[in-house]
Amino acid sequence: MLNTVWLVPALPLAGFLLLVLFGRRLAEPKAGWLAATMCGLSFFVTLLVFLDMVSKTAEERSHVVRVFSWIPVGSLQVDLAFLADQLSITMALFITGIGTLIHLYAVGYMHGDPKFSKFFIYLNLFVFSMLMLVLGENLLVTFLGWEGVGTCSYFLISFWHTRDSAATAGKKAFVTNRVGDWGFMMAMFLAFGAVGTLSYGTINSAAHGGSISHVTATAIALMLFVGACGKSAQLPLYLWLPDAMEGPTPVSALIHAATMVTAGVFLMTRMNPVIAEAYHWAPTIIAVVGAATALFAATVAVAQNDIKKVLAYSTVSQLGYMFLAVGSGAYVAAIFHMITHAFFKALLFLGSGSVIHGMHHEQDMRKMGALRVLMPVTGFTFIIGWLAIAGVPPFAGFWSKDEILLYVYANNRGLYVVGLVTALLTAFYMTRQVIMVFFGEAKWKDQSEEHGAHGDFVPHESPKIMLLPLVVLAMLSVGGGLLQLPFTKDLHFLEKWLEPIVEHGEAHINGSWAYDNKYILMLVAIAVALSGIALAVGVYGKKKLPAIEPQILANAWNYDRGVSAFMGGPGRQSFEAVAWADAHVIDGAVLGTGSVVRRSSGFIRKIQSGYVRVYAAAIVIGVLAMLAWFMWRGVA
Amino acid sequence: MIAEVSQGASMSFPILTALIFFPLFGAIAVVLSSNRRPEWTKLIALVSSVGTAGLSIWMLASFHTSDGGFQFTSQHSWIREWGIGWHLGVDGISLFLVVLTGLLFPLVIVGIDPHHGHKRYLAWLLLLEAGVMGSFLSLDLFLFFAFFEIVLVPMYFLIGGWGYDQRVYAATKFFLYTMFGSAFMLVGIIATAVLAKNSLGYVTFDLVVLAEQASFGTNTARWLFFAFAIAFAVKVPLFPLHTWLPDAHTQAPTGGSVILAGVLLKLGTYGFLRFGLYLFPEAAVWAKPLFLTLAVAGILWGAIAATMQKDLKRLVAYSSVAHLGFIVLGTFAFTSVALTGGVMQMVNHGISTGALFLLVGMIYERRHTRQIAELKGLQSVAPIFAAVFMVVMLSSIGVPGLNGFVGEFLILIGSFENARWWVVVGTTGVILAALYLLWAYQRVFHGEVDEANASFPEITPREGMILFTFIAAIVFTGVYPKPMLDRIEPSVKVLVTHVEERSGRTFDPDVVEIKKAPAAEEEKQEEH
Amino acid sequence: MLFAAENLVGPSVPWFYLNPLFILLGGIVVLMLVGSLTPQWPRHWYGIVSSVTAGVALVSTAFLWDNVTNEKPRAIFGDALALDHFALLGTISICAAVFLCSLLTSDYLQRDSDDGPELYVLYLTAAIGGIIMVASNDLIVLFLGLETLSLSLYVLAASNRRRSESQEAGLKYFILGGFSSAFFLYGIALVYGATKTTNITGIFTALSSSQSVPRNDVFLLVGTGLMLVGLAFKVAAVPFQMWTPDVYQGAPTPVTAFMASAGKTAAFAALLRVTLTALPTRVDDWRPIIWVLALLSIVVGSLLAVTQTNVKRMLAYSSISHAGFMLVGIEAAAHPNSADAGNGISGVMTYLLLYTVLVIGTFAVVGLVARKGDTATELSDFKGLGKQQPALALALTVFLLAQAGVPLTSGFIAKFGVIKAAVEVHSYAIAIAAMVASVIGAFLYLRIMVSVWLEDETAENTRIQVPFLTGLVVAMAAIFTIVIGVVPGWLLDATQQVAALTGR
Repeated sequence: MLNTVWLVPALPLAGFLLLVLFGRRLAEPKAGWLAATMCGLSFFVTLLVFLDMVSKTAEERSHVVRVFSWIPVGSLQVDLAFLADQLSITMALFITGIGTLIHLYAVGYMHGDPKFSKFFIYLNLFVFSMLMLVLGENLLVTFLGWEGVGTCSYFLISFWHTRDSAATAGKKAFVTNRVGDWGFMMAMFLAFGAVGTLSYGTINSAAHGGSISHVTATAIALMLFVGACGKSAQLPLYLWLPDAMEGPTPVSALIHAATMVTAGVFLMTRMNPVIAEAYHWAPTIIAVVGAATALFAATVAVAQNDIKKVLAYSTVSQLGYMFLAVGSGAYVAAIFHMITHAFFKALLFLGSGSVIHGMHHEQDMRKMGALRVLMPVTGFTFIIGWLAIAGVPPFAGFWSKDEILLYVYANNRGLYVVGLVTALLTAFYMTRQVIMVFFGEAKWKDQSEEHGAHGDFVPHESPKIMLLPLVVLAMLSVGGGLLQLPFTKDLHFLEKWLEPIVEHGEAHINGSWAYDNKYILMLVAIAVALSGIALAVGVYGKKKLPAIEPQILANAWNYDRGVSAFMGGPGRQSFEAVAWADAHVIDGAVLGTGSVVRRSSGFIRKIQSGYVRVYAAAIVIGVLAMLAWFMWRGVA
Repeated sequence: MIAEVSQGASMSFPILTALIFFPLFGAIAVVLSSNRRPEWTKLIALVSSVGTAGLSIWMLASFHTSDGGFQFTSQHSWIREWGIGWHLGVDGISLFLVVLTGLLFPLVIVGIDPHHGHKRYLAWLLLLEAGVMGSFLSLDLFLFFAFFEIVLVPMYFLIGGWGYDQRVYAATKFFLYTMFGSAFMLVGIIATAVLAKNSLGYVTFDLVVLAEQASFGTNTARWLFFAFAIAFAVKVPLFPLHTWLPDAHTQAPTGGSVILAGVLLKLGTYGFLRFGLYLFPEAAVWAKPLFLTLAVAGILWGAIAATMQKDLKRLVAYSSVAHLGFIVLGTFAFTSVALTGGVMQMVNHGISTGALFLLVGMIYERRHTRQIAELKGLQSVAPIFAAVFMVVMLSSIGVPGLNGFVGEFLILIGSFENARWWVVVGTTGVILAALYLLWAYQRVFHGEVDEANASFPEITPREGMILFTFIAAIVFTGVYPKPMLDRIEPSVKVLVTHVEERSGRTFDPDVVEIKKAPAAEEEKQEEH
Repeated sequence: MLFAAENLVGPSVPWFYLNPLFILLGGIVVLMLVGSLTPQWPRHWYGIVSSVTAGVALVSTAFLWDNVTNEKPRAIFGDALALDHFALLGTISICAAVFLCSLLTSDYLQRDSDDGPELYVLYLTAAIGGIIMVASNDLIVLFLGLETLSLSLYVLAASNRRRSESQEAGLKYFILGGFSSAFFLYGIALVYGATKTTNITGIFTALSSSQSVPRNDVFLLVGTGLMLVGLAFKVAAVPFQMWTPDVYQGAPTPVTAFMASAGKTAAFAALLRVTLTALPTRVDDWRPIIWVLALLSIVVGSLLAVTQTNVKRMLAYSSISHAGFMLVGIEAAAHPNSADAGNGISGVMTYLLLYTVLVIGTFAVVGLVARKGDTATELSDFKGLGKQQPALALALTVFLLAQAGVPLTSGFIAKFGVIKAAVEVHSYAIAIAAMVASVIGAFLYLRIMVSVWLEDETAENTRIQVPFLTGLVVAMAAIFTIVIGVVPGWLLDATQQVAALTGR
């Protein structure tokens, strides 16, 4: 069964090709159904592979399937091959799973869009690329997927390309990701230089075997992290993600919350033996960047009024959490949080999408309120998602976040505090959002005319096809924690499952103070979460406390502005300067030569006056010069 | 090693000679054809170009894959008195360039309408094809120079006769600039043959003999190498000798630009491989830092300059400067991975950039402007056109799965060991490529369409057919480059070995390997 | 002198070897006597007679070739004339020039309707002078030939009575030519003073024994210098080139063609013979001069052409830079102790032959474009030629590309020959300089091609007729240019023997 793993990406690819050929003829809704079916089938196959894998012993579970030799030159032998193991299948499961749900959702959400079928072309292509990314047997196949998802996200962000903001956002996303890709490529070059191959198996075993020097390992780790920063929107490259919200909401849910943005975390986990070989300060850098991003984004999320922007910054923040985990050697926890986050963040995005849909594409939370009545399902599921992300037990988010904090505490107290603050803020801004959207008084009543709706405007609940995914995801957000319950070792399903993958990289905290007193930490976490919620209720619900939303936070500490200002200012000017130099200095030299020739020609021409006396004079001069030479020869 | 040409594939039919003369006779036939029957003229041109394409395919089919030597060689004495021979041969390095040439010309002839003077246009094109073929196939310095120079004439007339408002200026600049480079090469070629006499005992211009048997003093070789290098650097064009390119490209008719980008520029990079490295290995190695630096400078400079262009065609032209910088980077890394990537990139750049110029030409046909500022929102009115442009653009950016990536990646990863810091800097060119192309795409295709562009027609079936062949090549090469790599690599390995033996330096792990056991395969089995 | 008359012993005269001269002489007699006695001949007859004469002379020269090959080069006519392949090839070039130019002239005179024998007689006379120059083995004989040639050329240049430019050209040429001849003659005198002989072989022997003539003998040095001046003037090397543009522009176009071909050939042959047969032992004295002249001629010639607008002037300048290239060949030949020095000689002679055909072909087209009155030679007059007369334009393009040195044309073979010779004797500097300067030169040919092909004809550009004979010349020249460019082997075979000069 493991040999059929190639089917997993093949099916969405087939869907993509079919849609390219017949998409226009199929049109709505068939195109959507086709895409969803392909994704669903892919999920089904993944499930079969997974079950087969479970039935095998830990040794047999990692399996390589070579499709064909892709780029073979001398010692560089790169196959287009898949690596089916615990990690990749876990990823594939939730990618195809959530993917399918979002396909279904999109069939409803994109209803009536002129480019309906095109949307699903991109969506299927994305799922294919994402699966290539996680199932790749070597860095290059992963890179293929890596770039593929980047390209698809470019397509989908600028899906409504007539909107300049959308077009710009798409370009920004692609270019920023390219900066990260530079790091990824460097990592590949280093790895190839050190090991002579790009296969994960060989590289990792070499790293563990100590045949990669610490310097090289460090370099590889950090370069990979640069790549991860691009893809997973970490400081300083997170810039593109908030803008990416220009894309249709299903895209935000699938690509910019659940799957693509977690690729960086996946990559670090994949290469954890190399990171383990790096100097100890390398992981610390990762952890610090992660923590910084988490805190930074959380503070920004507090002051956002766009319903999707809040979720976007929250995503950045949660991703920071995952890197904090990676940096602390808590790979399992990172993956665990990645999965739960995929559940509840997808849920929240789809929920927000449902709200936007119901509000006729209104995204400003200040114009919402009291929607829980009009959108019962959306409201209910959204609230579950909120509890999950806020870290309220027993919802999924709580367990994963707690696990991370546990490891961080064991690793570095300072970062633990940062993590707690972030948790507090998370609870705060999510509560804020829920209150602004679903509670309080309805601020949309007086805005009928602004929306397309004629007569008096009433938000409406979304169609079933959109609600189904919400319900499913809500369940997952509730029960997701079961994957890895902290109480006894027997409940650490995920850890046992991933053990072979992360054995070299995973930090061992057994016996540390944190491990022995994990329940205390758990209580602290709960307390923090609840206080965050309470605070928000106090500010936005009961209006007891003043709202603190300084402009600087709304503007994301002006970081984005600063960068744009630089790019538009000195950056652009320097480029202009180069273009100018090319035209005037380099080409100027060429043209200068030309004009020198022309001038000197004109000059000599003056002598060629047509007067015989001048000619005779010239001859005489020539004669004298010649005689002078011969005389000199004579005396010399 | 290369001297043992006999082992290579060979056939009774002198196919390489035919590859040169078929288009040449076509050109003559076109000239002689009657003015009153233009359709006949067109037919003749079509037949001869398609026939040439067929020949090139036939050659490709009967090419011995694993053989690194020269194949189908044909050798006859030509100008005995000067030791000049008619010596043709093809190996993995030139193979796909020849095929590309063979395929590109019919596409251009079918796909692009010169609007006036069809007869002369077609005649020049076919003459150009003959010249390019000759340059890629020559194994005799004199012969190569003859073709290398003769190519200028038809190109000059194509730009000057069918180009845009600045055509004469651009054509003249192109002609003189290139001729300036050739001036040094001619002296270099003669000096090479003459000085080789000391070690050979007789004067010959035969490349293989000179490279394999002749020996030069270290300094002599370096001077000679530079005499050649100047000509090739101009042709590539290598920073800072590149400024003729944007003008030539912008002013040339679409067909001219496609050919120029597709095959003509490759004469430079190909020349570096075939003549620079092969004849003067030690000198090439000695000059490595200089050329790596210029290459990287070109990558960045070209990309940055491209970003700021207002004319779409100029933008693509500058992107060529950047792409060819990659090829030179790979060439002077001297590893078979990088060199294979370089050859690959020559072909891929030909396909992608050729297609880009074709598309820009189509835009001009429709809107009679190439100014980015005057184009807007085309994706709304011509989605298919936009989609094609997108695919070609992505291949030019170097997105994996498309052809552009393979060459670029091989060059970079292959050069990393020998030219680490140059690669580190050069790779940033990949970021810039995304920047200038996507920005241009956004300005041209995205946004609300204004009334000027509202009536932009979708691609016609004929255009679609032409473009489809490009897309097919782009995708196939990107997904399954193995067939090409298998044919390129042996010859490249031979060349690298030659360079290492002559320069007494080792660059390439592989070359050591092929002397040992075939290690690569074993490694593969060991994994898992 | 008279007293010496009794015991004067005439030298044995090997008549057979002088056939070419006698044939030409015969042609002159026929044209002059018969022509003046008989009434106006029918159209083209004068020209055909003249060119047939030249053709026969050419063939008879060709017959001598093998004879020389078998019986080795030698001096005949009491050492007055040299009989070697060098002389024969020069003779062939000159005869070819007469052959082609007579045909052109015939059409030219028909068009301007003043047909007559005079020009042809002058051609043949000039040819005789030229042949004597290339074959002369004695400075006095050389001077004789030089003057015969020059005087005919002066008259030829002024032969168009209707155009004042023509008169002016003739006069200028005459004055300056006389000026330079004076230098040349004085040079001969000084050299005689130093070596007690005017015989070229004699001078060589006198100089090879250094005690007879000290190395820094001022007479010899100055004499050499002045002779060089005289010859440099004839070959139109900078700075003695100034007459060229005016004369080339002013003279009737066929005459210009003749001066550029036959005149150059004779002058260069003389220069080669004097320097390489008489003064090889003093190369260090005069080689640098040649070096400088070569460089100046190529650079200045190319530079001046850049801003010209009159095609005949342009071609005058291009002929100057071509002269520079030939001087590069002489410079290469001036390395007596190098084995390959001979290639310089054959290089130059080949260059001369090929250039003869090229330049005549070019001027043939120019002459046609010049139209009635022989005046329309501005660049603008060439506009639209490509549309009007594609075949003619194509031929012109071939000639121009050849002059620019584009491969697969005779021009490239010529350039390649001299550059190769230079490289063989390690004169890299001059070789590279020449090649780079020729890039500037190429610009002028491009400019002509631009107005021929790339610019639309203007209203006043009346249609051009292509008369048969001229068309024939153009066709022959074009075919020759291409054929030599593609298969030069046989010619190179022949010209390699040229290097063996009499007395070396």
